[in-house]
Amino acid sequence: MVPMENYLVLSGIIFSLGVYGVLARRNAVLVLMSVELMLNAVSLNFVAFAAYLDPDKATGIVFAVFVIAVAAAEVGLALAIVIRLFRNRSTANVDEAATMRW
Amino acid sequence: MTTEVLWWIFAVAIVAVSAGVVFARTVIHSAIFLILSLAGVGAMYLFLTIEFIALVQFLIYGGAVTVLILLALMLTRMASSGEPEPTTGVQAPFGALVALGLMATLIGVAVSTAWPGDLGQNAVAVSIETIGEAMFQDFGAPFMITGALLLVAFIGAIVIARQEDDE
Repeated sequence: MVPMENYLVLSGIIFSLGVYGVLARRNAVLVLMSVELMLNAVSLNFVAFAAYLDPDKATGIVFAVFVIAVAAAEVGLALAIVIRLFRNRSTANVDEAATMRW
Repeated sequence: MTTEVLWWIFAVAIVAVSAGVVFARTVIHSAIFLILSLAGVGAMYLFLTIEFIALVQFLIYGGAVTVLILLALMLTRMASSGEPEPTTGVQAPFGALVALGLMATLIGVAVSTAWPGDLGQNAVAVSIETIGEAMFQDFGAPFMITGALLLVAFIGAIVIARQEDDE
């Protein structure tokens, strides 16, 4: 098997790409997709730890299941908010959604 | 040996398509790259011989989440104004700086730490029975609360996105 550090480095690279996407991209849906990348990197990390450090109890795998469930809830809610924003403001650009009320 | 070669091919491909998600010019290309990246991480779970999570990954991310994202892209398309929208803002250089620093830190920590109890080559496959026992016995209450969270989140999503007639 590949050493565990390989998985950690891979997930670190994916996470950093997600961070760049969240900070730099302006389309709200693209920001969400970058958040999905980050969540994926985290659950890959959890599962790698579970497989290499703790195969008897599988705690990390349960954590990964929770991450996936919460990510599903998050993406549903956030896309509803983006659609609402687009309907009210005709934009999906996060920089243009700067006012707290209108 | 062949497994390691395959692993490296998949790892390079995952990094490439993940970079595609954040650097692609059009949002539809980003979405397609995202599907490939999620599928690649699912393949990583197969390399870890944890088929259950791989299956969940393919079903929920590859199926449900990407369909939701494509639907949102379709609903929020700029009504064909002709000119392409700006992809990155003025924050892009700072974002790149933060991301590079974070990447260096994460890789440095991952490589230099001596992980206690690392099985290394002797890592054994986690059985599906172990996962089931952990999920429904040790984490039974959080599991049920997660179900409630999903229900509340999706009712909230419907309420937020609903078309109101009096607007």
